[in-house]
Amino acid sequence: MSKSCRFSCATLLLLAITSVVAQDLTHPTRMALPDSDFKRPSPTDFELALDNGLTAFVAEARQAPLVTLTAFIRVGLVDDDLQGSAEALLDAMRSSGPADMTPDTFRASLKRMTADFTVEMHDEWTEVSLNVPAEDLGAAMQLFAAVLRRPAIAAGNIERAAQSAEPDPDDLGGEDGPALYEGSLNAAIEQFNDVLYARHPYGVRPELTDFEQLSVDDVVQFHAAYFVPGNLVLAMAGDFDAEAMHAMIAEQFEDWRAGVVPDVEEMPPVRIRGSRQHSFPAEKLQSWLVFGHDLPQVPGNDAAALEVMNYILAGGHLWTRMTIETRYKYGYTNDASGFLEEKWFGPGSYSFRSYSRPEVIKAIYANMMAEIIRIRNEEVTDEELFVAKGALTEGSFQVRYLDGYQIARSFALERLRYGHHERSATYVQRIRGVTAKDVLAAAVKYLRPDDMQVILIGAAEDLLD
Amino acid sequence: MRLFCQALIIFSYLILSAAKAQDFDYDYQIREHILDNGLRLLVIERPDESRVVSKIFTDMGALNETPGQFGSAHFLEHLMFKGTPTLGSRDWDREQDLHRQIEVAEDAFIEALNRARNDTRERGVFHDYQHKTTTPEIEELRALIDSLNRQVLELNDEGPMKKWYQAYGGTRLTATTEQEYMKFDLDLPANRVDLFLRVEADRMRNSVFRNFDAERMVLLEQRLGDLNRPETDFREAMNSLVGRASMVYVPEGYANDFDQYTRRYERELYETYFVPNNTTLIFIGGVTLEEMVPKVEKYFGHMERRPEPARYQGREPLPSAEKRLNWRSDDLSPRVEIRYQIPGVGHPDRPKFDVLAVALADHLQEVTADAGINGKLDINTRVVHTTRFGVPGSVNVELILDDHVQVGAAESVLLTELNRLKKELLAADDIAFARKKLRTQWHRTAVDPNALAFQIGHFEVMDSWRTMQPYLQARDETTADDIRALVDKYFIGRNRSIGTVMPAEERQ
Repeated sequence: MSKSCRFSCATLLLLAITSVVAQDLTHPTRMALPDSDFKRPSPTDFELALDNGLTAFVAEARQAPLVTLTAFIRVGLVDDDLQGSAEALLDAMRSSGPADMTPDTFRASLKRMTADFTVEMHDEWTEVSLNVPAEDLGAAMQLFAAVLRRPAIAAGNIERAAQSAEPDPDDLGGEDGPALYEGSLNAAIEQFNDVLYARHPYGVRPELTDFEQLSVDDVVQFHAAYFVPGNLVLAMAGDFDAEAMHAMIAEQFEDWRAGVVPDVEEMPPVRIRGSRQHSFPAEKLQSWLVFGHDLPQVPGNDAAALEVMNYILAGGHLWTRMTIETRYKYGYTNDASGFLEEKWFGPGSYSFRSYSRPEVIKAIYANMMAEIIRIRNEEVTDEELFVAKGALTEGSFQVRYLDGYQIARSFALERLRYGHHERSATYVQRIRGVTAKDVLAAAVKYLRPDDMQVILIGAAEDLLD
Repeated sequence: MRLFCQALIIFSYLILSAAKAQDFDYDYQIREHILDNGLRLLVIERPDESRVVSKIFTDMGALNETPGQFGSAHFLEHLMFKGTPTLGSRDWDREQDLHRQIEVAEDAFIEALNRARNDTRERGVFHDYQHKTTTPEIEELRALIDSLNRQVLELNDEGPMKKWYQAYGGTRLTATTEQEYMKFDLDLPANRVDLFLRVEADRMRNSVFRNFDAERMVLLEQRLGDLNRPETDFREAMNSLVGRASMVYVPEGYANDFDQYTRRYERELYETYFVPNNTTLIFIGGVTLEEMVPKVEKYFGHMERRPEPARYQGREPLPSAEKRLNWRSDDLSPRVEIRYQIPGVGHPDRPKFDVLAVALADHLQEVTADAGINGKLDINTRVVHTTRFGVPGSVNVELILDDHVQVGAAESVLLTELNRLKKELLAADDIAFARKKLRTQWHRTAVDPNALAFQIGHFEVMDSWRTMQPYLQARDETTADDIRALVDKYFIGRNRSIGTVMPAEERQ
């Protein structure tokens, strides 16, 4: 073998060895990662429609021997013309069960099934959910349908709802209230919502006198008006055969009278303008900060740009401008995030939240506000757009359809809110089409730095000076 | 006829469902491959899924810390988000030089601290006396490190370990460090699993500890968040009452330790434990073992097997006497808490304690109510945040009372009943219900591939992933006699720690 050949062979061998032993540190953008092969499932593959107007989304999910039965109903805390009806109905569904059972039997039945039963009522919609082992599906289905159709409403529900409407002595109770230990951030969020919706239907809550004037019949009428087949959508998922579930749904709900689907009432706008700080001093190791303003109804063509903008600015993950400018660079806080909270039929809110040792809370507020100003004045970078679009279309969107549970839930909620599935059908395309200019326009339109309602629990600091 | 058909379908289906429930044997079809360098790969194949849950577990945690450095394993996890030479640097050559200078300066800083040990030693019980708090040399070196660190900041991008995951559809980007493990998590499109391997292999070998001091303050924020809850102080005092030697009972760091952390110590932890033969990769979703083996070989196969990380040697002395904590607080509800040390996962008794906790909780709640004690009872096996360990932990009977005047009576009722249960069996129905409740809880966990992957990894660091299935089956087979045997063996005076919470003394 010639010298040059020996050299070439050795070189080749070295290269081969190197390629085996060297760590592959190709930058992620140059890894030629394939396109995601995810396709949003088709809602029609999961949909069941009964003649009385009831819609259900049914999805098999075989990972574990469990089933989840969920109903989303378009009724909320703002829908009761007779104040307190919603709260009393909520209590009845949570604790009394169906009319053909005593509350004790109801609770014993749930316990026997090791059930997870929840009823959550928001301003505009309600969720009733029952999760049980698959072996208990038959009994659970009957119980679930009976609670929805015939809840046991009694005077005791009104009394309990009235008690929970009384001011909680552990609440902040104004600027001189006791210091909170648990849930301080939640307390700050509640204060923010109270300020924002102070003179708005979303902020109206029943008082003791409302409950005193309320009768059982009023609550029964409230239930009858809103719990009609066309005003709710079911999401059934779990370890069952879809065909058998269709039969069970028909058996439990087919004879439910269609009734009249109530009209939706559009809510008035929030009219609070100008920035103002609302302080709740407390001797605490940390301070909690929530600030923001109302968010008008967002038209469909703005929604994508707003979502991308929020993702870059503050969107609840760990690579946002706000996190970088508070946590990473300075170690001021564990978290600084923004929350777009849309309502279905009225003004929502756009708020920003953080917490920290008191001595740096002012710097946190300043840095978060500086990022709000910056994103209203400068276009975002190509890299930021690339990351946000990928995260939204190939991350959080895909997760909404991860398994049968998520599929049934996502389609049921979408149908109840919009009446169709256009939003999810066009989501990826809309997000992919957002430009830096669109983001800038969304920031200018939906971020209002001069209208911030600032809630501060803890440090006695003037943040607005 | 239609109704009859519907009824027939439902009836047949329900009969089949009930039969199937009895057959469930917790077999998740986990497939294993071990690389030559010792790295363990575990895969649950779900070919219909378009995404994959991905986790990397390292067998290290707070157990591996030394006094004065408590919380440093958790801090290391934070540092490992700061990037590598190829992720996060705009000019590695310049940055590398600065890191070398920081290393030299920190070595000198540690030397200066050691030299000044008799001047700067904390001598006060209330952290209130040192001859000197610092020296000019220490301050000078601190300023130098700070200045170098600021120069590094000019050269790097923040969040490099996260942003590319996010850009390519990664979700659930979290990390956790507890007593026995550190893990990093990701859920991403299955056909992009290479990204996880590329980033995690880089993180495992090439982490650069950027912005060390700012991150230290983030840790402080997390600790302050814990301390805002009055339970934290009490629980930590209870933990240290139960355990005298085992690091299981130490929280995830005292704030007074945070300013003692050094890059050198963190680097030692990193280099000792982040080796392939101490690492487990877990995937659940749209991948197969056959696909994953060459990919894992490509990114991790080049790493050499390293010396086995030192085993954890902490062992509690044999229990010798009942211990007691009298806690005074106006912020915390009055309560009685009785703890007993219990064995770790891998011991045949351990799964039965899960059944005991559920069955006994309902039973003791009834017994205390019958005795006129008003309160809410819970039984758990939690120490800090974790409910299962590979080493001994504790079972905790916690009764939170409406009124502090019942503290004494509540303790007496609980102890009497626990003693009685050494002779009498719990009702078979209670045991059957506890088993069903545990089974349902487990399925609620396992239905989420992220939670299931965690459990597999957790069992692996506690004992072995192969222990998980028999552990769950053992719970299903636990009898009333087994529970009585546990009470008899473990619920004894010298293995007991009792804590009570009463209002502050000055109010008495």
